[in-house]
Amino acid sequence: MTATVTPTEPAEETPGLLARIAHRATAGGPINQVLVPLAAVVAALVVGAVFITFDGSNPLLVYREIVSAVFTGRRGFSDTATAATPLILIGLGYAIAYRARVFTIGAEGQYLVGAVVGTAWVTAGGISDMPRFPLIMSGLLLAALGGALWSMLAGWLGVRFGANIVISSLMLVYVAEAVLAWAVRDGIKDPDSFVNQSRQIGPATLPDLPGTSTHIGFALAVLLVPVAAVLMARHRGGFRVTAYGHNPSALDANEVRSKTVVLLVMVIAGALAGLAGMVETAGVSGRLGAQASVNLGFEAIIVALLGRLNPVGVLFAGLSLAGLTIGFESAQREFDLPSSLVGVITALIVVFVVVGDALASRGKEAA
Amino acid sequence: MTARPQSALDRDGPGSRGATSSGALVEMRGITRNFGDTHALRGVDLTLRGGEIHALLGSNGAGKTTLVRILAGLDRPDAGTVDLLGRPVARFDPKALRSQGVALVQQHFTLVPTLSASQNLVLARPEGILIPGARAARDRLNTLIEYTGLSVRDDVPAGRLSVGEQQRLELLRALDADARVLLLDEPTAVLTDQEAETLLNVCRTLAAEGRALAFITHRLAEVFDGADRVTVLAEGQEVISDELVADHTRAGLASAMIGQEASGTFTDRSGRSSENHVARRLVVSGLSLGRLEAIDLEVAGGEILGVAGVDGNGQFDLEAAMSARSIPDAGSVAVDGMVLEAGNPRHRRAQGLAYIPSDRYQFGLIRAMELADNLELGRVPRWRERRAARREGSVAALDHWNVQSAGPAAQASTLSGGNAQKLVLARELNGEPRAVLACYPTRGLDPNAADTVAARLVSCADDGAAVLWIGAELDELLAVSDRIVVLAGGSVVGPFFPPYDRAALGLAMAGEASDDQP
Repeated sequence: MTATVTPTEPAEETPGLLARIAHRATAGGPINQVLVPLAAVVAALVVGAVFITFDGSNPLLVYREIVSAVFTGRRGFSDTATAATPLILIGLGYAIAYRARVFTIGAEGQYLVGAVVGTAWVTAGGISDMPRFPLIMSGLLLAALGGALWSMLAGWLGVRFGANIVISSLMLVYVAEAVLAWAVRDGIKDPDSFVNQSRQIGPATLPDLPGTSTHIGFALAVLLVPVAAVLMARHRGGFRVTAYGHNPSALDANEVRSKTVVLLVMVIAGALAGLAGMVETAGVSGRLGAQASVNLGFEAIIVALLGRLNPVGVLFAGLSLAGLTIGFESAQREFDLPSSLVGVITALIVVFVVVGDALASRGKEAA
Repeated sequence: MTARPQSALDRDGPGSRGATSSGALVEMRGITRNFGDTHALRGVDLTLRGGEIHALLGSNGAGKTTLVRILAGLDRPDAGTVDLLGRPVARFDPKALRSQGVALVQQHFTLVPTLSASQNLVLARPEGILIPGARAARDRLNTLIEYTGLSVRDDVPAGRLSVGEQQRLELLRALDADARVLLLDEPTAVLTDQEAETLLNVCRTLAAEGRALAFITHRLAEVFDGADRVTVLAEGQEVISDELVADHTRAGLASAMIGQEASGTFTDRSGRSSENHVARRLVVSGLSLGRLEAIDLEVAGGEILGVAGVDGNGQFDLEAAMSARSIPDAGSVAVDGMVLEAGNPRHRRAQGLAYIPSDRYQFGLIRAMELADNLELGRVPRWRERRAARREGSVAALDHWNVQSAGPAAQASTLSGGNAQKLVLARELNGEPRAVLACYPTRGLDPNAADTVAARLVSCADDGAAVLWIGAELDELLAVSDRIVVLAGGSVVGPFFPPYDRAALGLAMAGEASDDQP
């Protein structure tokens, strides 16, 4: 018993803040599932109104501008959908991983690696001449693969050496940022450009959905929502993910080596983040630059928690957060508000969700 | 610590205890507690006096645990009063009550699994701002071990101790706080007979020092060996309230507990013929893992092989390796000649080896998931049915195994101990397993439930299954086993055949064990 000590299971780590938040996010009934996130958004907007007042604007006018920018603006819907696409994709991966109580927070790195791998493929000489459809598909697939491998590295460090996945996945974000910096400066740099950036993606650019100015990546993200929901509810893998989140030992004793579940959710989360990286590059920016990291991988953590680790919830949370961002961008220009305001509101939403969950679970215990 | 006698255990009889008694330390009056529609307690009184040991008896779900949890501040009563040392308790807070001298040893362990025994000990009671150093901690542990005779290894993390050792450590930790009122929730459930006797002796010593003790148990023998007074609960009400043990008989208490005349404790198989044994149905060869040293076992179809022994002698590793929970260092397990894939529990099940784990909440069930899901654990199809269909499909199994619950949608955490075990059986013994690995299958169950579980396993063997029964209660093993081996120091001693020589078994268990635990 002394010589053959197996490495500590990652799930035996002391439950941290994220674990408690995730637990409560999935604990309650309909009140917790719908009311808490809604109330949190409202409460955040109320507190945000105070800040806007301090800034010298009328919060009611600001909020009216946000609503009209999203709902009646010429590009309101399509901009929101475009902004929501990476959030939904990454959020789905986080939601599944967090269901298993595997707390990866490294999607930002997987996103960048996916973008680099996908862009490298579709801009490579000889490859970029492929017909458009296989070019796009192969680019997205390779991006997903790249993200999956990057994520699995953190998962493997966890199950093999007992490394904390929260920390190792986060650390790999910084490595991925270095990979991106090298890629755009050297590896896949456009030789005709003075700036550090890749070639134009050109033929691999994602087409728009017919009749809109939103690229088809949004349709892909929306399509993956029911896929994820059905897999979680009806597939053996979904059962194992949920079971691992509650009791890894029971899984080891009855179903499968629980380590494989950790690797599975890390691969899924990484693949979705890598996919998001390529979708964003091929759908929005058109080429990969040194500034590709805009922290979508971290914002999606909020999407997953706000969406109650539920695929359908992630869809709504992603759209809401994207709508807030788009709306605030417009309101900022109109009322000359500080650009940090939307970040403040988002942070407030998180705070109120945590508070709301705590109150809801207390109410349930007292009942 | 230093004030305590360091000599051998005090064996004074009940008569001398009255001398140190200073009246009631705890007075609980009219305690009522409801959980939703369930009435856990309906106006229960409990008096604990210094110098006395009070036994709390009752079937699973009678409210015993709720009662002691309230006294320890882990729960609060809906109605009723609690007086502690003459003062009413206003706030049911575990910390406050602990500082007033109430200690509870819970049935389920509350140790920090990554810390060693001594670290767990000092963490609970740091004495001052800083946690004592490693040497001071070890000294404190060793003093306690010496004082109580309860041995615990300190060289491995608590999570890797056997269940029995963890239980002993829990107890040591409670004793370390020098509590005036000591509450023990089924302290002997995981202990062997000798260990249980040692524990009762320790309890007598502690009572003789003027403490009030209350312990929950299912073993009547312990009530008569150790307790002065007894309270029997049934469905949240007192059937026997605070009466002297000496005024009662075993049969009387047993029938008060289960509400009927006690039947024979366990199905007696001693007269059974062994003609229909199919040889070598379950074969363990050269299995090594942790404490286990290349053991060989063979169980024939239709046979129950009892594995006796002091907990911590390799039982845990035998269970882990055979259940495919862990990958053994060497050796294999085979059912009907088919070698099971190491570390693949689904292959084990597909080959017909059912597994009833020692810790049903850790290895058998997922408490936060519903009963229907728990019934699918280990046999989940690639694509599952709709949730409503899954629930509907599990009703029959729940009924057949008499799992009392709020239906298949209820969470496994809502089940009482006996019903939780029945849920495990419903899953494991469904579909006529070819072999069964049963680890302490009746642990912590009331006599009725234990009887049911034992009978189910016996009928499994009668249907041709090879049953390996790892047990701690010798009487039970003697009653059900066709053959008994003793696991001591990671090796197999025996086999022993009926009629069993208790002395020889006891020697095998004790002799080897003492080599192993210095």
